[in-house]
Amino acid sequence: MTSRERVLAHLDGRPVDRLPLMPITMQFAADLIGAKYLRYATDFRTLVEGQLRTAEQYGFDYVSCISDPAREAADCGADIVLFDDQPPAFKEERALLAEKTRLAGLRIPDPLGGGRMTDRVRAAELFRREVGGDKLIEGWIEGPMAEGADLRGINTIMLDLYDDPAFVTDLFEFVTEMEIRFAQAQVEAGVDLIGIGDAAASLVGPAFYGQFVWPCEKRMVDAIHAMGARVRLHICGDTTAILDGMGRLGCDIVDLDYPVDMRAGRARMASQVILGNVEPVGVMRNDTPDHVRAALAACHEAVGPRYIVGAGCELVRDTPEANVRAMGAFAMDTAP
Amino acid sequence: MPDYALMKRCLYDGKAADVERLTREALAEGRPAGEVLAEGLIAGMRVVGEDFKHNVLYVPEVLIAARAMKAGMAVLKPLLGAQGAGVKPAGVLLMGTVKGDVHDIGKNLVCMMAEGAGFEVHDLGVDQSIEQFLAATERYRPDVIGMSAMLTTTMPYMKVVIDGYRERGFGHVKIAIGGAPTSRTYAAEIGADGYAPDASGAVDLFLRLVGDGPVGTAAA
Repeated sequence: MTSRERVLAHLDGRPVDRLPLMPITMQFAADLIGAKYLRYATDFRTLVEGQLRTAEQYGFDYVSCISDPAREAADCGADIVLFDDQPPAFKEERALLAEKTRLAGLRIPDPLGGGRMTDRVRAAELFRREVGGDKLIEGWIEGPMAEGADLRGINTIMLDLYDDPAFVTDLFEFVTEMEIRFAQAQVEAGVDLIGIGDAAASLVGPAFYGQFVWPCEKRMVDAIHAMGARVRLHICGDTTAILDGMGRLGCDIVDLDYPVDMRAGRARMASQVILGNVEPVGVMRNDTPDHVRAALAACHEAVGPRYIVGAGCELVRDTPEANVRAMGAFAMDTAP
Repeated sequence: MPDYALMKRCLYDGKAADVERLTREALAEGRPAGEVLAEGLIAGMRVVGEDFKHNVLYVPEVLIAARAMKAGMAVLKPLLGAQGAGVKPAGVLLMGTVKGDVHDIGKNLVCMMAEGAGFEVHDLGVDQSIEQFLAATERYRPDVIGMSAMLTTTMPYMKVVIDGYRERGFGHVKIAIGGAPTSRTYAAEIGADGYAPDASGAVDLFLRLVGDGPVGTAAA
């Protein structure tokens, strides 16, 4: 059974030999090959090399195109803050849509137009050539709340939810259409699964999540399924209050961050596969291999057989090798 | 007697214009600025903070409530600073996100909640170096420095700031840290005076730091 076969069989509810292993790595993978993160995030060959080496070294069942949330916004024309050795980021006062009127003139970038989105599509193509059929290949897009915050400014969009709901609706319309096109390009390039990262969605509470965010996430999920790909949803932070909605999206994998109680997650995701949610810093980075294993066993026990091994969020860059190996060993030794 | 219950309700609901109007009306009735601050704005934000802590309110609600509080504060501020007003802040707080880190929504929430608890808050913004923290300390004479970081790559700079303060003789200034990758353990490691896991906890921590002396690294 190849890694790809294992993950897909597990998602379909068919028997597998062991739990799949799919922790998120970005800076960790760049460090493993000695690459500065700016290069990792801007040169698909470096990203692919980092992911392949990491997957090989630790036995991960997948490779991912994820790097940072700024690709789509950059191609829209946003001013991105670049760092030599950490992820690109945004400054609120320089947000592309600091003036709301600019939204009307904004055009959806072509995912194959040669920008940062294209670089991710190229990564998907190279993954397919290198490990297609062996490892599961994951593409990545931003969710409506995360991308809306990237374009408008995270502090400002929180006020927009009250001050100008029509603008938020229009912005999320734009974002949803853009992300579906981006997902399509990655699926056509060969990814098996699209991850949707909607970090800021954990900040807004269940009412705004249900009113503005959920309908757009749902459209993304349905569109990706219609393309024939699977969906992994990851929302950073404490999503306890919006678990019901997350459960109703119909994602194949719901990737929960560490503040969420895994039993609560399972109670709201009847049959979906849940991934996570060992604390990335407190346990994975700072604790011992024995405690990593114990934390994973607790997650597995809480979630039950429909579980994938991973941390609550990205494995941070200075996570000890022994702890990542302990995570891998748990997956290798454990049947669903 | 001003309708402080209404003022608190308007603040809670984020009705900035109403809070501003009620603040003016209270002053016009001859109520002291300090009383309007304490009974109206601070009391209102206290409810917001409690409800945020217990997941009754979320970030958007806190931000609009804080905006309403600021509308009232803008009316009160000139009076609070006047000689004889008799109003002292709960403490002076200097806040910043450390060098290399531009993530600021958590830090902004802490600033708003601290201002709502009666602190004089000076927000340095994001990407702040030790030199910028020190220059602001000389200028504002804070009781507490609050630092935030969102990334494991930027949080080591918190130690640079703490070491810098100790080396330059600012050991009396309390230093608190927070942000996603930080923890009580990390605060102890780098010699911080305290750690808080969220904005509400940060305000409780600041109050303890200025009120009861050292609190170690107890989580709020």
